[in-house]
Amino acid sequence: MLTERKGLRPHLRYLSAFLGARLLGYLLFAVVAWELGLLASMLPLPRLLLMGAVYLLLAGILLWYAYAARRSCAQPCAESKLVSIGEKKSRSLAGAAALGFLTGLNLCPPFVAAGIRAAQLGSMAAALLFFAAFFLGTSVWFVPFLTLGCIARNQAVLTVARMAMVLIALYYLALGIAMLLGKNAYGY
Amino acid sequence: MKLRATLGYTAAVLTVLAALLTPFLLMGLFSKGVIALGLHVDEVYSGGPKVRSIPMGAYAIDVHRPVSPHLLQSARPFVQLDWTPVSALPPRVSDLVDVDGDGQPDIRVSFDVPGDPKAPLRVDVDSLNPRYEAMRNAGKEKYSRLIVRVDNAILVRVPQGKP
Amino acid sequence: MLMATNAYLAPHAGDPPRSILRSLLLTLPILLWSLLMFANPSARADRLSHIAGAVTALFMTVLFFQMMRTRSTYRWRRIFFVSLGLLFPIGFIHNLLVMRGSMGIPVEEMIAGRTPFCFMPIPFLILPAAFTKTLVFPGSIASANHGIASMIGLWLALTLVMGKGWCSYACFFGGIEEGMAAIPRRAKIRNIDPRWRYLPWAVLLAMVLLSMALFESVYCTWLCPFKAVTEYIAARNLLGLVQNIIFILLFAGLVIVLPLLTKKRTQCAFFCPFGAFQSIFNKISIFEMKIDKDRCHSCLLCQNACPNLSLSKESIARGETLLSCMKCGACVDACPQHAIVWHIKGTEVAVKPERARLLFLYAAWAMAVMFGGSIIAQGLAAILHFVI
Repeated sequence: MLTERKGLRPHLRYLSAFLGARLLGYLLFAVVAWELGLLASMLPLPRLLLMGAVYLLLAGILLWYAYAARRSCAQPCAESKLVSIGEKKSRSLAGAAALGFLTGLNLCPPFVAAGIRAAQLGSMAAALLFFAAFFLGTSVWFVPFLTLGCIARNQAVLTVARMAMVLIALYYLALGIAMLLGKNAYGY
Repeated sequence: MKLRATLGYTAAVLTVLAALLTPFLLMGLFSKGVIALGLHVDEVYSGGPKVRSIPMGAYAIDVHRPVSPHLLQSARPFVQLDWTPVSALPPRVSDLVDVDGDGQPDIRVSFDVPGDPKAPLRVDVDSLNPRYEAMRNAGKEKYSRLIVRVDNAILVRVPQGKP
Repeated sequence: MLMATNAYLAPHAGDPPRSILRSLLLTLPILLWSLLMFANPSARADRLSHIAGAVTALFMTVLFFQMMRTRSTYRWRRIFFVSLGLLFPIGFIHNLLVMRGSMGIPVEEMIAGRTPFCFMPIPFLILPAAFTKTLVFPGSIASANHGIASMIGLWLALTLVMGKGWCSYACFFGGIEEGMAAIPRRAKIRNIDPRWRYLPWAVLLAMVLLSMALFESVYCTWLCPFKAVTEYIAARNLLGLVQNIIFILLFAGLVIVLPLLTKKRTQCAFFCPFGAFQSIFNKISIFEMKIDKDRCHSCLLCQNACPNLSLSKESIARGETLLSCMKCGACVDACPQHAIVWHIKGTEVAVKPERARLLFLYAAWAMAVMFGGSIIAQGLAAILHFVI
């Protein structure tokens, strides 16, 4: 968000794309798991491998975003639209949506526990409603990020944001590799 | 301009005064302020508050409130049980424990109590209630599943439920 | 690009030293303060600890006297700071070995809430505490010995007095790399991309976000270089081993090797998220460095002298340092024109700058004696106990 344009309205757009895709990820997971009956029988190892793969993808997207953002401009550019992922403004929303979708598929224990709870409900509609409520509960954490729209955009802020993306990507990369090797890195 | 300079020098002198008052007043004041905020150490570390004690003759089992991770936290939910005092424990402990207080035993916890306080501990937990997970020869793997000796108690943490 | 040189050690050319009598008079408050801090008969019954306390009081007083006599700050402050950086690990590790026989923290100590609290996690604790009133640190809030509340109280008081001067007068980690940076005569790496200055802010942002997401102090578990010389979570598995290897590599790189190559405080300037956090408090600190643009010849000696890259051509043109200024005094001592000076906000620039310097030093050195001095005394006492 710090690499994108300043202002509440663009921020609201990016946050909406992020959260919308995150909700889609939640609901998709609920539907697939309900239909395939995966939740109740999901063994730790396949879940760990899936989490690892999602984390690696998330790290890749963050690194790509950080690389692409090097062409962001703090001042008005010759291009009227801000360059982020690709040349078109619509692609910057796609980047936010991709990140939202992948973070929505975070198979952490509370998320999966919520999934099991949802699978125990009477119908798929109830399960979807349960996950939608779960989404709303977690989304409240993202509201403070709207205030980032007020932070001035200059080269320092852009550089810090890109560096932070790389650091977080490296963290998810390390966790993803550990999970693919069968090591659950959480808890200690 | 003169007012600003006066204010600046006043603030500078007050800063020196604050430095001199730090060990006698300020540090204690700020510490008390932090305590007054009512913060608590994350229960994943502290184990949660003790809610009841099960008397077992010479020793007792303290049952803590189950610890649930925060929404975005990845630790597993667990419940901590303390066997205390260690000096009153038999060489082999194998106790049925009613964790949730419903009158029915939920788990059987078995561990040896070594004479050397620094010796590693291992625990087996048989689950009689699906809310609690069984453990085999567990040591100190994770915050949510471990057995350790802390001061005069042996702490066992039993994970809750299956993901 | 920024050059790394060593042109700041000599006092200003042509400046006569202050008279001995006047210097002694100016030092007297610090002497009295040092005696008050270290000559407390009820504090320690141990004879060797008393000796260590007396030596420390004398040490701090002599350094302050030299600051008054020579009218320079940096090299005398650096002697204190390097001593602090070397003696802190000695005293700390000695205590750990006495208490538990190992530098590694076993999980039992963490569960018992006996992990000593260090100020570094403070920025990462704020958001989880604000949202859930939970401190994601395995310590004890009210313990008298390195308890969380007392350390936060101390940090708050020191920060209100010094702002980011913390990094020059209180941080017990920075002295190691400052000592390393002083060893070579010339820097081998002289051109440093100034964008590296932003990395501490990025580390701060990343660690704050991850700490809030995972409810643990991620910097402490993954990235703190000083775990190599204090304490670390005892590794019981591959993950723990990887974490400990990261600590050692970061320490070796950022604290030993890069300062030797660049003659800069590279861990502080290019990595430390706590330093970035402390920079914010420079906004409220009444003391700062300012540049008299009429006297400045843009020779950039100040920029070269700064160990933290807190001066840029743009900031010099504006007449000020960057937000990351640690108030170490290197730039002031390096400037041959007396253009960069100590300054009290609201007052005129370069009018009686020595008054501003004195007021700052009384505040900062009093804190240094109280905090850093006690750590130096503990380290000395540990050495004396070992030797005698």
